[in-house]
Amino acid sequence: MGTTASQLGKDLLSEYQELTFLTKQEILLAYKRFSELLGKDEKDVLHERVPMDRILTLPELKSNPFRKRICYVFSTSDSKNGSLTFEDFLDLLSAFSDSATMEIKSHYAFRIFDFDDDGTLDCGDLEKLVNCLTGETDETKLTAEEMRQLISNILEESDIDKDGTVNLSEFQHVISRSPDFVR
Amino acid sequence: MASEPQRGSREAYDYAEVRNRSDQQSLRLRRVSSRVSNHNYPENDLRPTPAEENEEGDSGPPRELKTIPLPMALKRAVRQAQEMHVPVVSRRQAWRRRKSLHKLKEKARECLHFFTLWRKSLQKIGGNFGGGVESYFLFLRFLVVLNFVSSLLIAGFVLIPSIVFRSVGGSAVNGTGPDECTVYDPNPQGLDLFYNYFLNLLSGTGFMEYSYLFYGYYNNTTVEDRNFSYNIPLAYLFTAVFYFVFCLICIIARMGTAAQVAVATGGGAVGNYSVILFTNWDYGCQGDQATKLKQKNILYRLQVDLEEESRKKKTAALTLGQKLILYSLRVFMFLVSLGLIVAACYGIFKATNFSQIKSGVKGILGLVYEYLPSIVITIANFLVPLLGDQIARVERYSPSNTVIVALLRAVFLRLVSLAVLLFTLWRQITCEGNIESPNCKLCHYNYNDHPCWETRVGQEMYKLTLFDFLVNFALLFLAEFPRRMVVDNWSSKLAQWVGRQEFVVPANVLGLVYGQTVVWTGALFCPLLPLINTIKFILLFYFKKTTLFYNCRPALRTFRSTYSTVVFLVVLLFGWGLATVVMVYSLAQISPSRGCGPFRFFPSMWSIVPTSFYRLSETTQDFLFFIGSQSFSIPLFALSCVVMCYFVALASVYGKSVALLRAQLKLEGRDKQFLVKQIEELSRHQILKHTAGAYE
Repeated sequence: MGTTASQLGKDLLSEYQELTFLTKQEILLAYKRFSELLGKDEKDVLHERVPMDRILTLPELKSNPFRKRICYVFSTSDSKNGSLTFEDFLDLLSAFSDSATMEIKSHYAFRIFDFDDDGTLDCGDLEKLVNCLTGETDETKLTAEEMRQLISNILEESDIDKDGTVNLSEFQHVISRSPDFVR
Repeated sequence: MASEPQRGSREAYDYAEVRNRSDQQSLRLRRVSSRVSNHNYPENDLRPTPAEENEEGDSGPPRELKTIPLPMALKRAVRQAQEMHVPVVSRRQAWRRRKSLHKLKEKARECLHFFTLWRKSLQKIGGNFGGGVESYFLFLRFLVVLNFVSSLLIAGFVLIPSIVFRSVGGSAVNGTGPDECTVYDPNPQGLDLFYNYFLNLLSGTGFMEYSYLFYGYYNNTTVEDRNFSYNIPLAYLFTAVFYFVFCLICIIARMGTAAQVAVATGGGAVGNYSVILFTNWDYGCQGDQATKLKQKNILYRLQVDLEEESRKKKTAALTLGQKLILYSLRVFMFLVSLGLIVAACYGIFKATNFSQIKSGVKGILGLVYEYLPSIVITIANFLVPLLGDQIARVERYSPSNTVIVALLRAVFLRLVSLAVLLFTLWRQITCEGNIESPNCKLCHYNYNDHPCWETRVGQEMYKLTLFDFLVNFALLFLAEFPRRMVVDNWSSKLAQWVGRQEFVVPANVLGLVYGQTVVWTGALFCPLLPLINTIKFILLFYFKKTTLFYNCRPALRTFRSTYSTVVFLVVLLFGWGLATVVMVYSLAQISPSRGCGPFRFFPSMWSIVPTSFYRLSETTQDFLFFIGSQSFSIPLFALSCVVMCYFVALASVYGKSVALLRAQLKLEGRDKQFLVKQIEELSRHQILKHTAGAYE
């Protein structure tokens, strides 16, 4: 622990603590895990960009149905290929940490669910979302009739301004009414 | 396609409001045209910030950087912009002070994190099994802390003074009354075989009976020094009463925080589907197997909900005849379940009587007789819910109602069985309420069978607690581990159909509530019981955690976490109520034993309070009389009514404003659609004009 702490300077550490919801121990642990992802010739942990398929080997992300979306959303690369730097990684962990506010969580959840990146959740996004949640195989999919009914129910419940899509504020409104999200 | 541009990039949210805005205002959309047409998220949109900052000036502490949903590099830029906007020197000092205060708060929070009990375990459990299971363990932790603090209370006020003053001090009141009542000899004569020690440990008799564990050992000592006086009976009584009040306050405080959340979410008024879809984010980290299971779980829930919706439509269309049949079936099933509960209670009654009759038998058989009430209660609590499940299948309530009905039945059964046990004990002690009956005439209680009846009751509670713990422990080794080994290693259809165990939260919570009720009932007669219970619950935490991780699979039916916390605490309050009734009855009605205990020379346990009261000084007496009188209590009552009305009014105002804002949002959406249509029409007009003009 001592060597990693000295590689991550104290100023940088306190800056990360200020800009994310992570505690000092969590940031150091993240540093360790991220440096394990790097190859032998990539020494500069802070500035190296790790491609998406290596990030997806992390056991916590490996079986998550939304793993690719998560990488795309948090990636700051110009080519939108889902690769993450260490700071992107910290942003990811911060958004998923327990002490993150509801606004942050709902903002990022919305972006992850927005499969076509158009700023709203329309029928196509919702359908992809349902399929992701229930599994992609044929036997675990809902029938077309059930899917249609489900999506119309969802839009009826959450689409307040009746424009056929769920935008960020409607999404946040639904989320804020869920007891599991309000801690 | 003309309406397409409207929906797309225009809705960039003004995240960069570094002012202290409330949550409701974040609902309002700010339409800021983004620089890049395709980019709908304002990563690149930092323009508004400096201008708006200069307009408003330094209006309070800047918004926390953590809560801005931007990548790290941009957060740094925002921070630099923030730092530049503290131009005046004095403002900079104030800002620095705020920052250092902030840092101090962060450090304090980190320290508190370190001291929270079992924080890492709970996090692991929640991450792997979800919020429902985690709520059980949170409840267990709450009970551990509650029991620990109460045992400290009891130790400080009753146990330690008793130990210290045992050698000193004499009794306050001397005995009057027949001598036969004061005979109490708990120590058996003769040699004790080794295994007798073990039996005594399990049943609280023998060497354990005359010890600090039970009421009978405490003396009627009152120490009066020059400037220090300590009245042990009074301390005993007040500690017991305060223990109950303290537990009530803790439960209500905790329920308050949980209920706040439940009220804020409107009790699930918003429909189910959106919530299921958007907030089922509860993904564990256990790997492919668990993820597939969770996916199956969600599919199951969605299908069940959709089916229930179509079923509701069908039941609304039921004919009168079918409805009649259904309701009469439900009434019949209710009577059946009531009959089952009554049968279980009768069984407990008979078992307790039988156990009391055979209380002199020694050896292993004697131990079985001692534990007979506990055994019957456990069997009843195991069988009746199983049968209840079958009954529920006939009743055909909706799934959510079925769960509530099953929970209520189980709670009722557990608490009533405990009540029946206590009732039978009390009947024996007071000779069925008949003071004149030959056994009770002399000392006002059944001194033949129970020379020290408080210790007897304490022993029963001790045995119940211990048996509950042993049963849990035995189930772990005899049922859960073998089941897992069978399922894992034997790949037959039967094994796969039985499957690995599921951690059923409601049943486990009821077990905790039952254990805690027993402890509350017994605390007056067995002062060390909260301490024993603390140890028992700590061990239970580790046992349950082990079985969770090794033997259980994630649940097929999830359990809502925050709403369930309130339900658990309400059920705990029922148990508390039962224990309070018992305590009040013992304090006020039954005369204490003459042969043992700190109240041996008083007609009832409560009568020590008036006796000590009249020894206080005149002014204190007058003051206390005033507090109890009408001229104080009626204004107090009126004041609390006013305060309550204020809060009710406040709550209704908030509810109305939420509804108003929702309607406003709807209207704004309609305005938008109207304007869009207008734009379309106008642009069409323009195009027509152009083409018409071009043709001319």
